[in-house]
Amino acid sequence: MARVRTTRNPLVVAAIVLAVAAAGAAGWGGWERYEATHDDAAAYAGARDEALAAGEQAVQNMNTLDHAKVEQGLDSWEESTTGDLHKQLVDGRDAFVEQIEAARTVSTAEILSGAVTELDDRAGKAGVMVALRVTVTAPEGKPAVKESRMLGQLTRTSEGWKLSALGQAPVGNTAG
Amino acid sequence: MSTTRHLVNRRRRLATVTATNAPARTSSAPEPATGAAEAAEAAGPSEAHEPPEDPEGDADPDAQADGEASDEAAGDVRPPRRIPRLRIRLPAVLCAATVLLGAFAAWAFSSAATLREDPTRQNTALTDISRTSEVKGQISEAVGAVFSYTYASPGKSDLAAQKYLTGKAVQQHKDMLAEVRAQAPKQKLVLTTTVTESGVELLDGDRARLLVFADQSNTRTGKEEETTYAAAMFAVDAVRRGDTWRIAAIDTFAR
Repeated sequence: MARVRTTRNPLVVAAIVLAVAAAGAAGWGGWERYEATHDDAAAYAGARDEALAAGEQAVQNMNTLDHAKVEQGLDSWEESTTGDLHKQLVDGRDAFVEQIEAARTVSTAEILSGAVTELDDRAGKAGVMVALRVTVTAPEGKPAVKESRMLGQLTRTSEGWKLSALGQAPVGNTAG
Repeated sequence: MSTTRHLVNRRRRLATVTATNAPARTSSAPEPATGAAEAAEAAGPSEAHEPPEDPEGDADPDAQADGEASDEAAGDVRPPRRIPRLRIRLPAVLCAATVLLGAFAAWAFSSAATLREDPTRQNTALTDISRTSEVKGQISEAVGAVFSYTYASPGKSDLAAQKYLTGKAVQQHKDMLAEVRAQAPKQKLVLTTTVTESGVELLDGDRARLLVFADQSNTRTGKEEETTYAAAMFAVDAVRRGDTWRIAAIDTFAR
């Protein structure tokens, strides 16, 4: 019996060693991949980037309005928002349409930069800050360009992140 | 199939064994009493003589070999059948397993690496809580220090610039404050900058980019005291040197 062992083909021995090594590598690789896909930090980072992208788009939508396409513009405002902010927009829509059609302005916005300031992935809440350049063109005169510092609150809905609050960052006496 | 193949091989083997190994075999158990052990023994050395024959056993057309098996005891047929079969299959199975497992390992590693290289993951803003608050805190302090200026002690601003600025930001800061420096002594200017909001856009190891909202109060303490407020927004590239974050570039979003 012992002789069977000792005379075994070295190729078979090598094949066994290789197969065992391959099994080890496969196990290790599988673990690495499992770790990579089930990484909490990665999921959180993904939520952060989604919130930022949605937040920037929403802030841009909210600063874009063409008097010739008011209804379309306001639809996009309503689509970008949720909660109280959404309700305010819906309630004030008619008055706003009149206002814009009277002023006949066209506003376009350019996102300069944006960052997520806070993120609660579980609660589905996030805060974003966005640096914005808004150009308002009136029927007469030169277009007015102003830079805008926006702070927004986002809430996650079934259709993704939407703005639940939006305002200018306050300026003033803080630096007294 | 395997029976045929085996028997043909076995006949060859026995032939070779009697021809070459005869002296060695005489020392072992008497031939007629062969059992499984003897068969295995016989199979052992045979490999050295004709290894390529085994995997190609299928090619043997001799189907009548079954009948000739009666040369040996009936009980002798079964055990040898199993052992060579294992011998033939094992390397093939091992090779297949090695290839499959190896392929899986290669896929798993490269897939894991791809996932980890995703820019979203590379950016640890907010995911690395302590680093995020560290860079926010230090850069807010740095911005406040370098963009504050008092006519009474202009050296303080230079000191702050040395401490908090590096690279391109040094010159940028000089240019930005040039006007303030020129007017400061005459108007008794006090410029104070306070960061009101900051957010980390990107954090990757020792590099970071932050968006900063700041308030600037500009006080002229000449004849009549007069303070004006201005809102500022800019992005800052930061690098970490040792334990401290420094401002490496300032982006004021100028067109």
